[in-house]
Amino acid sequence: MNCVELQQSLAEVDDASTAEQQAHVRSCPTCAALVKELNQIIAAAVDLRAADEPSPRVWANIEAALRQEGLIRPVSQPFLPSLSAGWRAVAWLVPAAAMLLLSLGIYLHRQTSPLHAPAEASLSVAAPADAVDSDLLQEIAQNSPAMKTQFEENLRQVNQAIVDSQGWVAENPNDAEARRSLLDAYHQKSMLFEMAMDRSLQ
Amino acid sequence: MLSSGAVKLMSLGLVFAGTLAAQTKKELRFSVGPKAGVSVTNPYGSISVKPSNGKIILVDAVLHSDKVEIDNSQNGNRVDIESHLLAGADADSGRVDYEILVPADASINLHCSTGSLRAEKLHGDVTLEGAGADVDVRDVSDAHLHIKTMNGAVNLDNIQNGHVEVDSVSGDVTMRSVNGPLIQVVSTSGRINYTGDFGSSGEYRLTSHSGDIDAVIPEWTSADVVAHSVKGEVHDDIPLQPKSHTWFAVEKGRAFAGTMGRVAVSSTVVLRTFSGKIHLRKRQEKQ
Repeated sequence: MNCVELQQSLAEVDDASTAEQQAHVRSCPTCAALVKELNQIIAAAVDLRAADEPSPRVWANIEAALRQEGLIRPVSQPFLPSLSAGWRAVAWLVPAAAMLLLSLGIYLHRQTSPLHAPAEASLSVAAPADAVDSDLLQEIAQNSPAMKTQFEENLRQVNQAIVDSQGWVAENPNDAEARRSLLDAYHQKSMLFEMAMDRSLQ
Repeated sequence: MLSSGAVKLMSLGLVFAGTLAAQTKKELRFSVGPKAGVSVTNPYGSISVKPSNGKIILVDAVLHSDKVEIDNSQNGNRVDIESHLLAGADADSGRVDYEILVPADASINLHCSTGSLRAEKLHGDVTLEGAGADVDVRDVSDAHLHIKTMNGAVNLDNIQNGHVEVDSVSGDVTMRSVNGPLIQVVSTSGRINYTGDFGSSGEYRLTSHSGDIDAVIPEWTSADVVAHSVKGEVHDDIPLQPKSHTWFAVEKGRAFAGTMGRVAVSSTVVLRTFSGKIHLRKRQEKQ
C-alpha cells in the first residue's frame, strides 16, 4: 500500500486499523502524522458539535461596541506568557496546539458548503503571536544561526498575510475567499513552526 | 627566484589541496526488497536521488570536514541515513553532499535546511522538506509528491499522474508538464508558474497570498476554470464559456469562471490570490 492507496482507504476505515494500513503507517512518517491528526480532529470534533457559535458578524459588532466603549484596546501585551522563563520545556506545545486548531478550522471549513460558509462557519481572528515568534527565532538562533534571518523574513511575510486577511475579513465578514486566505496564511505559519522543529534544524 | 604569479598559483594549489584533504568520501550499500523506504536527514548540503539498476540502495556521500559523521541504519525494507553534526560544526564544516541511487519504486523522504533536494525518474512516493533548500523533481510518475520549503525555489518537470502537494512560503514554484488527480500549491508570497495542459480529469488548486499566478496552457485544453483575486487583478487571454453559477460574485478584473474544451473530460482548475495577479495565457504553438 502506498500513500495514495492509504488515503483512499481512510474513506472506509478512518482510524487506519487494518493490517495493511498499519503496515504502511509504520513505514511512512507523513501518513503516520496524517492519521494522528485525523484522529485528533475526530476526537475534538465530537466536542465541537455541542458548540453553537454565533456568526462572525455578531463578534465583529460586539468588538466594535467594546472598542467604542474603550473597554478593549489594541493588544500591547503578548497573549501568551513568555516561554523563556520555565516554559521552554513545553514551548513546542504552542505550535502543536496552533496546528490542531488550524486543522480543526480547515476541517470545519471544508465541511461547510461554500454557499453557506459565511453564515454558518465561525472563524476566530487573532493577532500574530509575537511572543511565540520571538521564542521560535531564539531557538533557531541557537540551533541553526545561519537560518535565523531567513526565518525572520518569512515569519514577517506570513504575519503580514495574516494581518491583511484579518483586516479584509473584518470589513467583509461574508467574503468566503478572504476567509480562505486567512486560513491559508495560518496554515503557512504552522508550517514554518513545523519546519523549525524539523530534525535537520536541530 | 619565484615570480609573484607562481607564488599565487602555489598558494591557490595549497588551499585547494587543503580543501580536498578535509573532504572525505563515504559509500554505503543496502540490499532491499520491493517498495523500500529511504529517509535522509541532512542539515547542510545537497541530496540527489536517482534510480538504481536493481534492488539496491547506493549512497555516495562527500563530507566536507571531520565535524560531521553519517549515521545509518537498516530495518527490513527501510533505510535511514542522517548527517550527524559534531560539536562546533557550522553550515560549511557540517556540509555533506549525497548522491543516492534507489530502486525506482522506493519511497523517499529527504530533509535538509539548506542546499538542494533533487529527485528524478522515480515512481514511488516522494517527500521533500527543506527550509531554505531549492527543490527540483523531474520525470516522476504515478507518485505521491509532498514538498515543503520556506524560501527555496521549487521546480517540477514532467510529473505524470502525480498526487502533488507543494507548500512554500516565499519560494517560487515552477511546474512544466505536471498533471494528475491532484495538483495543489499553496504559497504566501511566492510566484506560481504552471505550463501544461491541466491533464484530463484532475483537480488543480494554485494559491498564493501575494504572489502572482501565471498559467500557460494550449488552446485545446479541457478545463473548468475559476480564478479569483480578492484585491489583485485577473487576466484571461483564452475565451471561456462563462459559467451560469459560481460561489462568488464574478467582478470584472477580479475574477473569472468558465469552461474550455470538452467538458466531459475536463479538469477542475482553481486559481486564487489575495493581492497577487492571475494570468491565464494561451501557449504559442510551435510552427
